[in-house]
Amino acid sequence: MAELHIIGQIIGATGFPQNSLFCKWGVHAGGAWRLLSGLKEGQTQVDIPQTGDMAYWSHPIDLHYTTKGLQGWPKLHLQVWHQDSFGRCQLYGYGYIHVPSSPGQHRLQCVTWRPLGSWQDQLAEMFVGGGPQLRSPDLIYSGADRYRLHTVGMGTVELELCVILRHFDRYGVES
Amino acid sequence: MGDGWCTDTGESVYRSRDAVKNLRIRVRIQRVTSTAALSQHLHQQVLSQQERGVIELDTFSSHTQAASTIDAEELVVGWQEKFFSQYEMDLYQTESNCQTPLERQYHTEIMGMERSKRRQNQRIFTYTDFDRFSKWEEQAQSLLIPAQPTPTLLAERMANVRHRRQERRPSNVPKSRLITWEPSEEFIKNSHIINTPVQTMYIMGDLGPSGKLGLKENEYVLCTIKSDSNGVITIKPDFNNNRGAYRLETQGEKREVWRLYLENASSHIRAEEKEREQRMYRDLYTRHKEYLNSLVGQDFEMFFLSVSAQGYEYDNLYVHFFLDLPNNWSSVPFHCLSGVTQTCRTHSVGKDVAFFSYPFSFETFFHKEDESDGSLPQWPVMFFKVLSLDFWQRYRTEGYGFLVIPSTPGYHRMTCHTWRPLQSGTVAELRRFFIGGAPELEDISYVRVPGTFKGERLSRFGFRTQTTGSVTFTLNCIQHARAFIDANTLKKRRQTVLDQLGGHSQQGSVYNVLEAFQRARKRMQEARETLPRDLINTS
Repeated sequence: MAELHIIGQIIGATGFPQNSLFCKWGVHAGGAWRLLSGLKEGQTQVDIPQTGDMAYWSHPIDLHYTTKGLQGWPKLHLQVWHQDSFGRCQLYGYGYIHVPSSPGQHRLQCVTWRPLGSWQDQLAEMFVGGGPQLRSPDLIYSGADRYRLHTVGMGTVELELCVILRHFDRYGVES
Repeated sequence: MGDGWCTDTGESVYRSRDAVKNLRIRVRIQRVTSTAALSQHLHQQVLSQQERGVIELDTFSSHTQAASTIDAEELVVGWQEKFFSQYEMDLYQTESNCQTPLERQYHTEIMGMERSKRRQNQRIFTYTDFDRFSKWEEQAQSLLIPAQPTPTLLAERMANVRHRRQERRPSNVPKSRLITWEPSEEFIKNSHIINTPVQTMYIMGDLGPSGKLGLKENEYVLCTIKSDSNGVITIKPDFNNNRGAYRLETQGEKREVWRLYLENASSHIRAEEKEREQRMYRDLYTRHKEYLNSLVGQDFEMFFLSVSAQGYEYDNLYVHFFLDLPNNWSSVPFHCLSGVTQTCRTHSVGKDVAFFSYPFSFETFFHKEDESDGSLPQWPVMFFKVLSLDFWQRYRTEGYGFLVIPSTPGYHRMTCHTWRPLQSGTVAELRRFFIGGAPELEDISYVRVPGTFKGERLSRFGFRTQTTGSVTFTLNCIQHARAFIDANTLKKRRQTVLDQLGGHSQQGSVYNVLEAFQRARKRMQEARETLPRDLINTS
């Protein structure tokens, strides 16, 4: 069996309408994959940048997977939330990226989108906040029912991941 | 007398896997006086002549014996073994002088020793980690000349903190109350200063004149031993190791010279114990390795994957895409090779972009059927069209495009530009604006090379299009083939997939010829070497 190490960090987010953001992240892999060590989900701190636009989290990711097959290559999904000065949390975006399959250091940008409601909902959202959320976050990383959604694009989350593969060449996998 | 002094008093670092409590050091000090030198010289002479049985030893030995009790001493010191100096014995005998529990413990020990009248040491004594000496020593002694009157702030803090051994805190981070709002002095000291948990021990010698032992100013540090929790032991000065004695000079009025010998007296681990220990380690490691292996396992499978799509330039867009497999490629049945993303409204980041983050993964298989077919294999192509559906349910095509799946494995980020077909006349454009509806391609593979195309030259003359935006795809490709395994086992230089699969016969044969040539050449060179020299030269 082959092993995959993912070592990296969620650097931060930029391009969102408001700055004070936090991120809930998780890694989802298929049935053939098993997590040997590391946390596969977490939540970053709330960062309120004083200068500039980018909110920095520097949240570490350190995972060790072992696998019997290539199906279900791990995907990292995230939800970016905004916490305002009153302590309310509002969803700012869902996004996901696949963990890169070639070894080395990768600097990745994960773009995010947010679901929209009807125009009444949007008006209410402008004043009161809130807004529709996905009932089950699995939809972030699966494409099945997406066509039913109406969304708007939001900002970008930057990540840096270093990927180390082991024993993949023994099974004839080139990457 | 004739001894060379060892002038190298630098410290040396040892690493030990064994516990430091097994450390033993033999310390020997000897005052250098004229009589001592003479007696030693005579002693050596006598020893050398003793084989001939000429001179008896008794007269000389008694003389040296008398001197040794006062001017020389030898002691074997264990780790953190406390030996009392005369000064300490006098101090702790009176109960009122004992303040801390440690001192009271010393008091009881000293009383016990007095009663039993057994005392191992006279001049050599030790300060262990728990005594106050180490803190004073660091504060009192300055590293510079002229001596600085006060130590720096950092030195002061370190002196307070360092000699206390810190246990390793388990590395679980507390889940609540991460911030300490009012740190205590202790907390600041521990957190702001790098605290290396080092245990120190000083072996001291009281080098005063015989009969006047017990004066504090005659105490000199003979040896400093530091041990940390990782098995690193630092000894200053190092063991003599037959380099000659260390020279100690007293500071008083009479400057006297003493010789110092340090020797490692730790008992060696017995062979069978060592064997047992090594066997235990080996067992432990193999078991751990087996455990890890069992977690990892043995099997594998095959796959080919590609990933997320994003971005476009219009409003309320969605992308409909599918993968076209050329001949020789097949896919897993019931596997969906097409998809539709969600509808996304654009927002402006510079220019208007729509983010989809749509995941898809494909798995396809390639069969190498005919080797005589010299062409390179064709890679699958992904065709997509971008459409917009707005609030009024107007449906328009925004663009068509295609993407060839890259043939190299790894991470690829590709941007494809799209175009949409135009119809001549203004009616079509007006219709598109007001009610939606636009000309669509019947066969989407027309974007690249139509499936029905059989001729030699493709002509698109008369087809009018307008450039529209672009779509960015990020793909991760993995290739998996049995040919790679064979290449590895045969230790051939790894070739790319194109070399292996396409044109296998031609390139393969060329490569084989080259290999054969190399092998023959090597054999010839080896054979040449074994021939005797003259044969080659004369011919």
